[in-house]
Amino acid sequence: MPEIFINGQPVQAREDQTVLQVALENGFFVPYFCWHPQLSIAGNCRMCLVDVEGRGIDIACNMPVSAGMKVLTESDDVKAHRKAILQFITLNHPVDCGICDKAGECTLQDYHYIYNGDRSLSVDEKVHSTKFYNLSNRILLDNERCILCLRCTRFTHEVSKSMALGVERRGDVSNIRPVEDRPLGEDPYSDNIIDICPVGALLSRQFLHKSRIWYLKPTPSVCPGCERGCTVQIWHRKPEWFVKSLDARQNTSIARITPLENPAVNGPWICNKGRDLARIFERARADEPMMKGRPVPLAEALDAARRLIGAARHPVALVSSWGSNEELEAFKRHLGEVFHAHVKRDWLPEEGERLEDDLLIRPDKNPNRARALELFGDDEPGYHDGTDLVLVWGEGCDFASIPAQAKVIFLNSYLAPENGHADVFLPISIQTERTGHYTNFQGVVSAFEPCFPKAAAVSDAEALFRSLAAPARGHP
Amino acid sequence: MRHLIPEFEKLRARFPAGFESSMVLPCVRRIQEDRGYVADEDISGLAAYLGVPQIQIEEVLSFYTMFRRRPIGRWHLQFCHNVSCSMNGAERILEHVQKKLGIRPGETTPDGRFTLSLVECLGSCGTAPMMMVNEGYHENLTSEAVDELLEGLK
Amino acid sequence: MPGRQIIMSFPVTATSHTLAEYRSRGGYGALEKALRSMKPAEVVKEVTASGLQGRGGAAFPVGRKWQVMVYDDGQPHYLIANADEGEPGTFKDRWILENNPHVLLESMLITSYALNVRNCFVYIRGEFDLPYRRLAGAVEEAYAAGFFGERILGTDFSCDIVVYRGAGAYVAGEASGLISSLEGKKSYPRNRPPRLTVRGLYQRPTVVNNVESLSNIAWIVAHGAAAYKEIGTPKSPGTRLYSVSGHVNRPGVYEAELGYPWMKFLEEDCGGIVGGRAIKCVVPGGVSSKVLTGAEIKDLALSHEALWDVGSTLGSGGMIVIAEGTCMVTLSQILMRFYHHESCGQCTPCRHGTGWLHRIMDRIVAGQGRPEDIERLYYIAKFNDGTTICGLGDAAGYAISGILDKFRDEFEYYIEHKRSRYDGNLECLRSS
Repeated sequence: MPEIFINGQPVQAREDQTVLQVALENGFFVPYFCWHPQLSIAGNCRMCLVDVEGRGIDIACNMPVSAGMKVLTESDDVKAHRKAILQFITLNHPVDCGICDKAGECTLQDYHYIYNGDRSLSVDEKVHSTKFYNLSNRILLDNERCILCLRCTRFTHEVSKSMALGVERRGDVSNIRPVEDRPLGEDPYSDNIIDICPVGALLSRQFLHKSRIWYLKPTPSVCPGCERGCTVQIWHRKPEWFVKSLDARQNTSIARITPLENPAVNGPWICNKGRDLARIFERARADEPMMKGRPVPLAEALDAARRLIGAARHPVALVSSWGSNEELEAFKRHLGEVFHAHVKRDWLPEEGERLEDDLLIRPDKNPNRARALELFGDDEPGYHDGTDLVLVWGEGCDFASIPAQAKVIFLNSYLAPENGHADVFLPISIQTERTGHYTNFQGVVSAFEPCFPKAAAVSDAEALFRSLAAPARGHP
Repeated sequence: MRHLIPEFEKLRARFPAGFESSMVLPCVRRIQEDRGYVADEDISGLAAYLGVPQIQIEEVLSFYTMFRRRPIGRWHLQFCHNVSCSMNGAERILEHVQKKLGIRPGETTPDGRFTLSLVECLGSCGTAPMMMVNEGYHENLTSEAVDELLEGLK
Repeated sequence: MPGRQIIMSFPVTATSHTLAEYRSRGGYGALEKALRSMKPAEVVKEVTASGLQGRGGAAFPVGRKWQVMVYDDGQPHYLIANADEGEPGTFKDRWILENNPHVLLESMLITSYALNVRNCFVYIRGEFDLPYRRLAGAVEEAYAAGFFGERILGTDFSCDIVVYRGAGAYVAGEASGLISSLEGKKSYPRNRPPRLTVRGLYQRPTVVNNVESLSNIAWIVAHGAAAYKEIGTPKSPGTRLYSVSGHVNRPGVYEAELGYPWMKFLEEDCGGIVGGRAIKCVVPGGVSSKVLTGAEIKDLALSHEALWDVGSTLGSGGMIVIAEGTCMVTLSQILMRFYHHESCGQCTPCRHGTGWLHRIMDRIVAGQGRPEDIERLYYIAKFNDGTTICGLGDAAGYAISGILDKFRDEFEYYIEHKRSRYDGNLECLRSS
């Protein structure tokens, strides 16, 4: 375990570490653009230059530790070099901050403010390049803002393996470009390059110009797109920045989704499906209890449901694989003895969706089948001639296969024609409206927190199950 | 480029095992020699044949000055305008060529005969000024020598 | 030329490059000696003892580079001869390839034997035509004679060679850029560590040596390190090739013992300056070396130590002689344009710095220079020094700062008067 000195302080290092890694681990911040813990060392930005006694200035990201070495990260020489590197990077960088989505989370902005702050020393016109380049239907590329750190290129070669990006030409007219048959559009991990781009060169088109990021806050959540259960951050409007005269839906919608770094599950990545959760969560919602399509007060619907449960001889339940641990446990606790429960696959893979790969994507497109199977076993859903009540919880039920004579209690969040056909329909909340946990296919439990309030007539399934287990009014 | 594959197979045998990626440069050069430039289908064909990512070939084509993806004139006049050549009258010869052919660097004569390019040092500084015409070096240029040379290039 | 010759030791004829004539000069005798009577480690020892310095530009001791390779580490080793020769003013490796290709091949065989190399390469710049054809012809001859292939000269040593043509990139002359190119990619240089002798071509131990450096190996093995050290100076043993161009009457490639007097070389061997003019300055070893004025070189010898002492370097031996009346500002513009064109674009200081240098020079030459431009040029040079992945950034800085150190007044004149003091003249014919 070699001991090195950083700014005079002794620190313990591991033999396989670089000076940058040791510095960061020990609280010495060294600025960098191109280095990334999950990518190969590029060593091209030259921002992490440090001063080593007896050796001079060199980059820290590619510098192996050696016992006794004395590293300075804040010497005058280092500071002068940082300023100069920033002079070079901003030489041709457009001053787009006023219209660039990255403002507020831009590494170049931050470093310029901390380490340079001076105006450009150049009086010559900046080198111009392509702006608004369509990298894919999800990502916009601005080559003028690009600092050619090559994180995006390395990502497509080393992580997603789509080999989709490269550099055309050379010198200061180099440009990031996609390979010409455009598989970046087919790379289901493409949007991670938006996160790792240190500047505003790669921008999400679905988020483009939607909001300044300082008006938003991230809430931890779990992607329900498959049984991997990647942790994510759902970004939405901070309460103090709610809009008053613009469309109020901005206050309760998902602005964007980014990964929540998680060494146990997804590292720093998510797939594009996890970015598109608004597609799932912002569908039209069911917000009224109904009986055979007729809106009724919740109490009436609950009572009717209890009577149906009380009267049933062979009740079957199709349990949602999107239920949280808490909801599933509540069902088991309150209704587990009453119903013959099967676990349903709420979502199946969609046409063209990648089934499985070595990175994150898993074939089961439901977030919590693991816990559900633990609680209810793995019998496939099925009915027999005597089935007289089916409680369907969540989506994905083939209603046509339910025996004609059976009554149906349906718990669902979204508007669907089947809502109106059920004998009792109860609208339920979605994960962005409550706290809960999912268990992924490896048994890792991850938490989600609420971002938005739920509508008044919408119930939490957990509370509903307790309620449904109570005897019906007027019945023992 | 499929008709070149037998040639490429022979070349592959000269390299150690696992050097398929190295074949990109020689194969591209041969394809360009054959067609006059490298076409889009050559790129995907070569990527498939060598088993390298297509983006690698695209990068190589745009990085190196000798590769091109569009046809040019029959005779490519590559004129050095670096230090020693400039110190020995390259500028005057270049002006002469431009006037004679009526084109500027980067352009091709309307009859498709000549394309004029400016290039950096070709390693011929002792026999400056000079230019490359397609594959060959033409050194110790004078206006007269250039006239004679161009005359002979049909 | 007076003095001993190692590489240019014979009159060039239409056939002097052939195998037959090379053998009649004693060629492939050193290979025989090495394979039959020396162990690989002894060859390395001999080359190290000779003090041979690299001839590509850095003058790094060849033996020291070789010693990093562990002979029996179970990995394939590679040897690459760097024939990319893109440094402006340099054309001496070309001479070897055209006129004495077998000395390179024999030397590469001996080197491969010494370093346990089974596959070696010559990376030759893509534009070279005759040098390539001569070299390829020599390779064919050598294979036919059994000098390449399996069980060479009936020993256990086998070796194959591939001549690999570049495609137009000066940065491919940088050893790690060369390797990237030889892997079939764009010639992006690499950060060190790891050294190329530890992880080079396809991450295997690789030695990259300049063509001229390697071409000395055969002689050193044949005659011994002691004999080599008798030539040249103690700190710069041997001979070296100079490519001389610019304003001399007899430009061309010359071989001289190191330590040869500079002025004698220019005035006698190179025929003096065109028109009998005075020497304004000389670029000693390729445009990346710092320029020296006529006054500075007057009593200097052509050796590494003499040039290091005055803050310059013999570099690639590409000597460009510049006569009085030449506009150094216009010349600098060409140099900055060159580096800008050739920067690979990977790292920040060089990618933006070379473009910035070029734009400033364009502006000065167009009569729109500003007083602070000179400090800007120095600034860019300073922060490209030691901050880049490879030496291209540093070189651009040395080129401009070297010229500014000696001819600042010319730049100040141009900026102030918006025109060249010498009418932008680069030739040695017109009067100023």
